[in-house]
Amino acid sequence: MLDFSLYVATIAAVYALFALSLNLQVGVTGLLNFGHVAFFGVGAYASGIVALNGGSWVVGVLVGVVAASLLGVAIGALGRTLAADYWAIVTLAVAECLRLIVVNESDVTGGPQGISGIAGPFVGVSGLGGDIAWLLLCVVLAGLAYLIAETLTGMQFGRVLRLIREEPMLAASLGHNITREKMRVLAVAAPIAAVGGSVYTLYISYIGPNQLLPIETFLVFTMLIIGGMGNNRGAVLGALVIQLIYAGSRFLKDIFPIPDQSASSIRLLIVGLVLVAFLMTRPEGLFAEKLRRIDVHQ
Amino acid sequence: MFTSRGVGKSFGPVQVLRDVELDIEPGEIVGLVGPNGSGKTTLLNCLSGFLNPDVGSIEYDGARLDRLADWQVSRLGVRRTFQTAAQPMKMSVLEAMLCGASLPIGSAPVRGLFRRSARAREQAGAVTKALELLDFLSLGHMVEEPAGRLSGGQKKLLSLGVALMTDPEVLLLDEPTAGVNPTLRLTIADRLKDINARGTTLLVIEHDMGFIGRMCGRVYVLDKGSVIASCRPDELKDNPRVVEAYLGAPRPAHLTTGAPRP
Repeated sequence: MLDFSLYVATIAAVYALFALSLNLQVGVTGLLNFGHVAFFGVGAYASGIVALNGGSWVVGVLVGVVAASLLGVAIGALGRTLAADYWAIVTLAVAECLRLIVVNESDVTGGPQGISGIAGPFVGVSGLGGDIAWLLLCVVLAGLAYLIAETLTGMQFGRVLRLIREEPMLAASLGHNITREKMRVLAVAAPIAAVGGSVYTLYISYIGPNQLLPIETFLVFTMLIIGGMGNNRGAVLGALVIQLIYAGSRFLKDIFPIPDQSASSIRLLIVGLVLVAFLMTRPEGLFAEKLRRIDVHQ
Repeated sequence: MFTSRGVGKSFGPVQVLRDVELDIEPGEIVGLVGPNGSGKTTLLNCLSGFLNPDVGSIEYDGARLDRLADWQVSRLGVRRTFQTAAQPMKMSVLEAMLCGASLPIGSAPVRGLFRRSARAREQAGAVTKALELLDFLSLGHMVEEPAGRLSGGQKKLLSLGVALMTDPEVLLLDEPTAGVNPTLRLTIADRLKDINARGTTLLVIEHDMGFIGRMCGRVYVLDKGSVIASCRPDELKDNPRVVEAYLGAPRPAHLTTGAPRP
């Protein structure tokens, strides 16, 4: 039971990285990125492929961060000519293309079987010690990502992003280049998700194309809606709530007569019900976005 | 210093602006009037880079503006306001003001993240300026309020304040007093005069002829996309084309005095 709790907490911290990254895009800037899982995938597969070729996990993480950032800039540049809703559809397509490439380029990616046996940072440490080390690492990373996201949101960079979300014409009239700002936020948000993807892959020492399905993106959207769109604390809390629902649903079959094979469907059903309940009763989420106080006396 | 030559703009088959010639000298307050649909806002959109004209040129201080993007025009010192002064709901009035400032360190995600104290110093300067401007615009008591929750007139004042954060040389104002009560209208007029006295050139779209008369040294009249007059405001009523297109003919005597119908 203890190792299960450690596992749940570790995955929740990894999810927090995804949620914080998506919050910078959707919650702060209003960029509907339906292909967010692509950034996770780039980080995860960078770690997997580097490991497969005998590289250190450090190299894998760095490759993932740089590649995700570049992918972010490229996707952001599409916004120069695409209206926001079309851009959202294109992001979904980009992520699906990435997944299909991963499935078909078996020589590089392991194809549908994925890549297993990926060595992470705590190879020598086994048992409880290793689990605790992983949890600490992921919590520290999530904390760091929170600080970065919160600082970015509060400073002029994030202020302009929030203005772009609410009043894009006003932002343009004040000399802010909207396309450039979108590219920049994707360039900084994507690596946060990529680190999450890398850490996840190293933690469970496996990555496969089924972890790049669009449902993963929408799960992160659910985290933001429950936690509170635009609020970084909400993103972290939303990740925790979803992970608890996921973990808790495993015990439903001890109480109710549920066949094993329906367990994962029931999990999604519960997430869906919680999502609908929030949208109907508390659309602003657990932590609503608040006005930011500006320190007047400095 | 601000000129447009032969500016034309069409939306599909509809020609909205034709051959618009405009000259604005530094320090002027110029009015832009005309009936609804005459192309005033389209012209302002062209001058501010929100639209690029199909033909013609727009120059400001030797720079061609007609092929630049909106944000580039703004950075050259030509800022505009909008007819509906929208302001963000999830920002305080003070934060909305800071959006108008130029804060290079705070705007750079990586540099701003690491240079915390330089960022704070830079912002403190902008906060001081924002508070002064808010006092000047009689919004000093609204600093902590959500910008999007202000009244229509207060939003117009705030839009002015936000635009003034970088001391623009030219302000293009789209109906700065439309839908504003008479007292606040006078306040806005006074503030605009002060802003002009500090050296900002103003181009004002306005329907209130009293306002135009008090404020503007010169006025352009637009009708069906063409400039039909450019004169002092008091000369407008003597111009038959302006009277016909915009001001309307004086009422026949029998309607105003009760004299018998001829």
